[in-house]
Amino acid sequence: MSKSCGEALMHLLEAYGVTTVFGIPGEHTLELYRGIEKSNVRAITPRNEQGASFMADGYARVTGEPGVCTIITGPGVTNAATGIGQAYADSIPMLVISSANDSPSLGKGWGRLHETSDLCAITRPITAFSTMVHDPSEVPELIAQAFTVFRSGRPRPVHIAIPIDVMEMPVADNWQPYKTPALPIPGKDAIDEAASTLAQCESSVIMVGGGAQHASNEVVRLAECLNVGVIASNAGKGIVSDDHVLSLGGGVISPAVQNYLAKAEVVLAIGTELGEADSFIYDLPVNGKVIRIDIDPARFSDAFPASIAILGDSQSACTQLLAALENQDIRTRSQNTKAELKQVRIQQNTDYTDVERQHIRLLDALRDELADDAVVMGDIAQLVYTGTAAFKARLPKTWFYPAGFGTLGCALPDAIGAKLARPEKTVVALVGDGGFMFTVNELATAVEEGLSIPIIIWHNHSYAMIRDGMVKRGIPEIGVNPVAPDFIKLADAFGCPGFNVSSEDEFRTVFRAACEHQGPSLIIATENDDWLT
Amino acid sequence: MKTCGEVLVELLDGYGIDTVFGIPGVHTVELYRGLDNCKLRHVTPRHEQGAGFMADGFFRSSGRVAACFIITGPGMTNIVTAMGQALADSIPMLVISSVNHTYKLAMGHGELHELPNQRNLISGVSRFSHTLMRPDELPELLARAFAIFNCDRPGPVHIEIPIDVITAKANHIDIKIPSRPYAPSASAAAIEAAIELLKTAKRPLIIVGGGAVNASDELIGVAEKLDSPVVNTVNAKGVIPYSHPLAIGGSPSSTIVRDEIRDADVVLAVGTEFGETDFDYFYLGGTVRNGKLIRVDIDSAQLTRNQKADVAICSDATLALQMLQQRMSDNFGKDTDGVGRAKNMRVLLKESRNSGYESFFSVIRSALPDVIIAGDSTQPVYYAWQHYETEFPRAYFHSASGFGTLGYAIPSAIGAKLANPSRPVIGLIGDGAVQFTAGELASAAELGVPVIFLVWNNHGYGEIKRAMINGNLPQIGVDIHTPDFLGLGKAMGCESVRAQNLGQLETELQLASTRQGPSLIEVRQEDFADGYV
Ligand SMILES: Cc1ncc(C[n+]2csc(CCOP(=O)(O)OP(=O)(O)O)c2C)c(N)n1
Ligand SMILES: Cc1ncc(C[n+]2csc(CCOP(=O)(O)OP(=O)(O)O)c2C)c(N)n1
Ligand SMILES: [Mg+2]
Repeated sequence: MSKSCGEALMHLLEAYGVTTVFGIPGEHTLELYRGIEKSNVRAITPRNEQGASFMADGYARVTGEPGVCTIITGPGVTNAATGIGQAYADSIPMLVISSANDSPSLGKGWGRLHETSDLCAITRPITAFSTMVHDPSEVPELIAQAFTVFRSGRPRPVHIAIPIDVMEMPVADNWQPYKTPALPIPGKDAIDEAASTLAQCESSVIMVGGGAQHASNEVVRLAECLNVGVIASNAGKGIVSDDHVLSLGGGVISPAVQNYLAKAEVVLAIGTELGEADSFIYDLPVNGKVIRIDIDPARFSDAFPASIAILGDSQSACTQLLAALENQDIRTRSQNTKAELKQVRIQQNTDYTDVERQHIRLLDALRDELADDAVVMGDIAQLVYTGTAAFKARLPKTWFYPAGFGTLGCALPDAIGAKLARPEKTVVALVGDGGFMFTVNELATAVEEGLSIPIIIWHNHSYAMIRDGMVKRGIPEIGVNPVAPDFIKLADAFGCPGFNVSSEDEFRTVFRAACEHQGPSLIIATENDDWLT
Repeated sequence: MKTCGEVLVELLDGYGIDTVFGIPGVHTVELYRGLDNCKLRHVTPRHEQGAGFMADGFFRSSGRVAACFIITGPGMTNIVTAMGQALADSIPMLVISSVNHTYKLAMGHGELHELPNQRNLISGVSRFSHTLMRPDELPELLARAFAIFNCDRPGPVHIEIPIDVITAKANHIDIKIPSRPYAPSASAAAIEAAIELLKTAKRPLIIVGGGAVNASDELIGVAEKLDSPVVNTVNAKGVIPYSHPLAIGGSPSSTIVRDEIRDADVVLAVGTEFGETDFDYFYLGGTVRNGKLIRVDIDSAQLTRNQKADVAICSDATLALQMLQQRMSDNFGKDTDGVGRAKNMRVLLKESRNSGYESFFSVIRSALPDVIIAGDSTQPVYYAWQHYETEFPRAYFHSASGFGTLGYAIPSAIGAKLANPSRPVIGLIGDGAVQFTAGELASAAELGVPVIFLVWNNHGYGEIKRAMINGNLPQIGVDIHTPDFLGLGKAMGCESVRAQNLGQLETELQLASTRQGPSLIEVRQEDFADGYV
């Protein structure tokens, strides 16, 4: 029996292992929905396509598999742009399938509904590739190319746009997935050089980023073998447990951590861009020789050029390094690293400000309530900046703070995506009062799907991060103290419980109730409340 | 010392900009330095999409351009949809954003908010997108933007300023506003050719589009001399008052009007792109025309699109109409029976009206005679598109045509109210669309503007549900969970009530128009109309 292109595409995605798609139906995407009905794929409807791309992002962050969006052309795609941008900045796999206006009208400027002059040009800067389909027969190959990006290289979003006339065309073939290649393995020479450099140096440090999320065991073993400290980027938090004696936690904000990094004779950077957004530091104090492990060759010649460049999968690189180090005499091994790191951590703890101590009060209680595998989705909020260093993440893929693109409102929809992917885990969203308003609508999606998500709002009645910046620079406080809604009533209007908490006990009680509730709950902690100070 | 950011504010003031919409961020704080001692009013939305839609509604309702201050990266990807809607409808808007340091542009170092190439992304939704590399070029750039706004096909303009340029010294910049270019007028030969054609007309028809929104007097003058009926696109509602005997009202998509376009011997089309969303939104097939066509457009390329002109006049609409008018004697059009034909069409169109929707709008008109309506894409808007008539231009607009996005009406109505404090303003929006931008209810409350949000609740994406039913498709993702709108409105700080019948609607509209702050009135479809338009 022949199917429409849209229908066949859904079946093909299912064969690639796609279980969930995020999108708001429109007249231009109806054929995809025909396919959804006939497959086992479930369709989740966010309240704005921005939610779709954030949810797909959250889904991908916890699974490592691409999050999939099915959206309309024009405003559907432009609404999704921010979530796509976030996935691009953090190398998250995401497949965006959109409709496009019918082929004859493309590029003509006829003033069609949802028309853009060049749809793919808009998403090209935020995708690995963005392509307009001309004929259904191109689809299986394009999807294979997309999955190759997701599985065999530096993952990034891919956008495939299908004109409505093409979407409706019948296809006879039974489309099958292509075999995607395995991640490339580093060459032996680079590994040997790195191993002897690491073995012979007086001091070294490991910086670990999102590119090593799947290599947790290997990175830990490497750190232990070398007996050196590990600093996680914002995206690398939890790869080595923050409780590990060799871990310095996430971020490089603390001067103590910066000093430790600055002293190292060799810096081994595993799957990290060493970018501003990874560390919050504009000029990372890297003075030593840099060894970099990365899947993307462009990284070796950026702001921190690699003395030794190891191109390939980080997991394999670490395994090979361990093997190469086996018979070496490693100088850092005999050093008293643990004692030194302990001092750094003590120093780090004295660097916190008053407000940060308030954050820590809440974060400690939260940590205590959570199982190790619980997932925390952080927004761009002060509570989360503090958590980057102070929250103890114990497993990879449990603490997320998408600092690269740094977009407000990501946490709730990202948490929805994560919860849909991992219903068995506790998934928490940490947001500020300002950022929460960007995507507050997605509460309705979480209610509709019955997703148990405790949402913790840090309420300081302000875009505090920006207000503080203005105050520091002597700029008038304009536009930074938005009037917040009544969050409790707001929660109620969406059909979910909301709580103001005023003691740690109350926080714990309410949090437990929220974990039991089959839907989202709002928990509001107000800055400077007695229990926090 | 004066920074480039401060000079920018002075220049905006010089150009008569009095309102700027924006959410400050670390990268834009320096734009706020000059903001406390100037005339510019800063308004903070809850999402950058809201900023763009507010600027859009501000202009559509008043003809005055507003500016937006937007952070690089996610701020810009958030505003893309609003720029897309504005571009599709030729609405000017000045979007000023930050971008990373000049020396970091396109380096891909993983800076906060980094995009590989922001301008590429924005180019597709703007008339131009430019990176300011030195403060010295700022006056020229702004002059270019305003030249486009005033005497070219308008649309959004994007100027991105690297952070180091925002803070660069700019004392030396001359802030005197250069003389603005005059809009182009028609060539005498073109007018001559048009007059020759019009002389032969026995059954002329004028089609007026958004490009003629400032040309009411001239258009009426030409119509009267030619004795020709006038039909308008949605963006030209009220350019000829509906009470005028030559006004047809309706829409070029109505069968009655389509027939007249087909049978007219000469069509004079002024400032319309002949776009599908205005001319064929029931998908009955392209516009059929047996007579001759005279087109006036300020955009030369547009004169070649969709419909082949016999006389193509590249000119500002007002100036071309003035010239035509001067060449016409008072009894130029003879035996054309313009008034009679217009009347016939008006009668037929009225007969096709749906009584439920008609009473709904009658009540709005009688409660608030000089109301401005900003519509979204919802059932009563589709009705208003054809049947809601106005006496003035700029009193009705919506997002259902052109880019066709959702969530427009709430922020757009706020912008319109800010531009027209003495007139009642309604944002007419469906329950699905409210959830795209509900956060902006809080902006309205913070501003204390008495704008009225009229929420048409049919418990889901009614339009798409209908399309699924018609297409024999599964109804997936259209019966969405909607919040309790009254609770939502109240939580956000809006007086919120439900009107269950026409009497209550009238009372509530009147009450709302006397309040100091925003009101939300929920109406349920089942109480006012049965079925669809
Ligand atoms: C889309 C977007 N717009 C603006 C910003 C700039 N910005 C960064 S942090 C911040 C303040 C957020 O306020 P809130 O969520 O309340 O967190 P707080 O800083 O108060 O903890 C703003 C406005 C941004 N990062 N993203
Ligand atoms: C950004 C965007 N996403 C999706 C669509 C497709 N779409 C068009 S109308 C509509 C339904 C809107 O529902 P609602 O606002 O409740 O209006 P109703 O049709 O029910 O009156 C949808 C989803 C769109 N136009 N724009
Ligand atoms: Mg805040």
